[in-house]
Amino acid sequence: MAKPHTVASVLTGPLYSSILTVLIIVMACVELCDAVTVVDVYRLVQYDLGGVPFGSRLAALNHHAGSSSFFSSSSAAADLSRTVLILPVRELNLTFITEYIEQKKPLGGLLLLLPPVFSPQNIDTGGGADHESAEDLVKEVLGELEQFLIHANIPYPVYFGFEDEHVNTLLADVKKNDAAGQPATATTGGYKLVVAAPEPKKIASPTITNIQGWLPGLKGDGDSSQLPTIAVVASYDTFGAAPALSMGSDSNGSGVVALLEIARLFSVLYSNPKTRGRYNLLFALTSGGPYNYNGTHKWLRSLDQRLRETIDYAICLNSIASSSDELWIHVSKPPDNAYIKQIFEGFSSVSEELGLKVGLKHKKINISSPRVAWEHEQFSRLRVTAATLSELSDAPDLLESTGGLSNNRHFIDETLISRSVKLVAESLARHIYGQEGKNIDIFADDSSLSVNPSYIRTWSEFLSTTPRVAPFLSKNDPFIMALKKELADHTAEVNVQQEILDGMFTFYDSTSGKLHIYQVASVTFDLLLLLVLGSYLIVLFSFLVITTRGLDDLISLFRRPTSRKAKTA
Amino acid sequence: MTIFHFFNCAILTFGPHAVYYSATPLSEYDTIGTSIKAAVVYLVTSLVKLVCLATFLKVSESESFDPYQELLKALIGFIDVAGLYFALTQLTHRNISQNHKFQAVGLGKCWAFADAVLHRLAPLWVGARGLEFTWEYVLQGLEANANLVLSISLAALGSLMWLRKNKPQTLIPIIYLFAGFVATMPSITSYLRLSLGWHFPEIVAFKLFASLGTAFISWQLFSACQRPSN
Repeated sequence: MAKPHTVASVLTGPLYSSILTVLIIVMACVELCDAVTVVDVYRLVQYDLGGVPFGSRLAALNHHAGSSSFFSSSSAAADLSRTVLILPVRELNLTFITEYIEQKKPLGGLLLLLPPVFSPQNIDTGGGADHESAEDLVKEVLGELEQFLIHANIPYPVYFGFEDEHVNTLLADVKKNDAAGQPATATTGGYKLVVAAPEPKKIASPTITNIQGWLPGLKGDGDSSQLPTIAVVASYDTFGAAPALSMGSDSNGSGVVALLEIARLFSVLYSNPKTRGRYNLLFALTSGGPYNYNGTHKWLRSLDQRLRETIDYAICLNSIASSSDELWIHVSKPPDNAYIKQIFEGFSSVSEELGLKVGLKHKKINISSPRVAWEHEQFSRLRVTAATLSELSDAPDLLESTGGLSNNRHFIDETLISRSVKLVAESLARHIYGQEGKNIDIFADDSSLSVNPSYIRTWSEFLSTTPRVAPFLSKNDPFIMALKKELADHTAEVNVQQEILDGMFTFYDSTSGKLHIYQVASVTFDLLLLLVLGSYLIVLFSFLVITTRGLDDLISLFRRPTSRKAKTA
Repeated sequence: MTIFHFFNCAILTFGPHAVYYSATPLSEYDTIGTSIKAAVVYLVTSLVKLVCLATFLKVSESESFDPYQELLKALIGFIDVAGLYFALTQLTHRNISQNHKFQAVGLGKCWAFADAVLHRLAPLWVGARGLEFTWEYVLQGLEANANLVLSISLAALGSLMWLRKNKPQTLIPIIYLFAGFVATMPSITSYLRLSLGWHFPEIVAFKLFASLGTAFISWQLFSACQRPSN
């Protein structure tokens, strides 16, 4: 009788253990992804400026959810180092949050909720003048918040998300719990927010890509390179608090769209030798705009010096789609300079006809300071006459007006872009064909050279859905390829120049993630359940012993040690 | 904390099996071999059932209760009963005749254990470990308990039907009736879920009550059959 048992056990031994290990390995590989809600969230930018850290320094998040009603119910000294605060921007108290961050109070994480109008999926037509004042207020608050967050050093993860139905119900629940005075911790249950993200790494050698298009003029009796050149330049990249959401519809999406439309119009004119002007046209889409126009600087230095000397003047476009009052031409040479006067008079005469007001602003450049506020300043440092056309009246500070979160398509007006295109194209054309001061409308409406509003709208939409922070655009990013192709359609020769962004800025990756929201039970609940189960099993055990063997057996189970003692004693 | 929850649900599902094993005089007999054989028979029965289901049953698009399909499922469920019959008659030791009830109970327990492991362990491992908290796994554990009692009752009734030679005549129809009731329990639960729209907790509660009821009645039947032989 004993033999078959041992044989069986020998056979089943190794087989059993191997099956068990395989089973364990298989089961350990199963991923846990059973959250109630999964939401796309976008991280606050993390960068170093000259070694000084800025932005949110952490990416991984794994804490309980809390809301702002926390502070009204309990004292301000509540420990939030294990809580993620969910704050809708609509109801944000800006002074509170700036104080909180400045005083470096500990916090598990911050989740800022943006109204759906800022979502890239929520594309409607460029609203124009019909946006509500409430949204304008949110835009202002968001702009201020963005500027504050960019220049702060925050040691915990900060994420931006959008208000949708799941998040709103979650927030309402959390607020209810908080108002009842029960903050969510490990022992009382609630909601847990998890973002699984690896440690953010530095982006080594971020590239900036400049794209230039060359439209040669009519060669007369000499070489075409001796013809004077006019340059039209716009920087296409952005920078904002959330790099994955920095679409920059106005700064500088409007400039890019305007440049492409001007290129298209002039390519139509220049395609026929009879209408080709005696000026070469150079169109440049530069990168590195927010970083003191680093790309423009590198591009200019890479240009052949002879070519650079033939540049008559350069017009830089920067943010022309939001303000319908007045446009400014910013220059760095004094206004009584002959060239500047000529340019300004050319623009003024066209603007009067269009019913647009154009003013001239002069700002001296400071060679010793690294700060370059306008793109034309890079030209001026190389003694090339240049001016920037912009709706901004004052020079922006570093990382200001660079197309962040608040710069959304909802707030721009495409008719303004059309108007600015007409202004620039008409002024340039009159200068090129020598028709200044004459009453002529080259790009008249309803002609074959009229400004095409659907072209502007299409490109504006495309730019408003593409985040364009330069370090996160790879060398062969489809967006850059698209710009290159478009410029190649309108110009004779396209060159792409790729450089490394200068070392003052260092960026870190991990710009977006998925937020998992779990509803968790507290530890006390589990302990309670264990207690209940334990007593259930004990009751079951005693019940079965009593019914099958009798009550005496049960009692004897517990009496055995004492009876033995009695026997030995 | 979530491993804790998994642990809780696991002891709810598998704890009673261990308790039954240790509390009843099963451990006094050498039933490891019988237990493994019972588990193997259960495995074979399940495979046969699955093959029959796949071959004969068509996937229904609607959620309603289709009597023809359910009848087919019930018939296939009788394969279960056939398997149990096979196990009872072929595997139990013939020499320990007066303790048949414990053999039956042991068999039913092993049957239910195999059922619990195969059907519930994998979902429990995958699901109860997640951070998200649901009552589902606790309810599944309760259902496993109910299944255990039902299986034991079925095995006991089965042993009454096939292994006992001397039974009081009046009790035979009752025995068969209850055996049929227990065997068609899956059909009854699916009927309740689909046509009456009961949710999971209500079905579990129904199963628990039904299992307690059948256990009590089969115990009574057993002792009733036992009396004449003593």
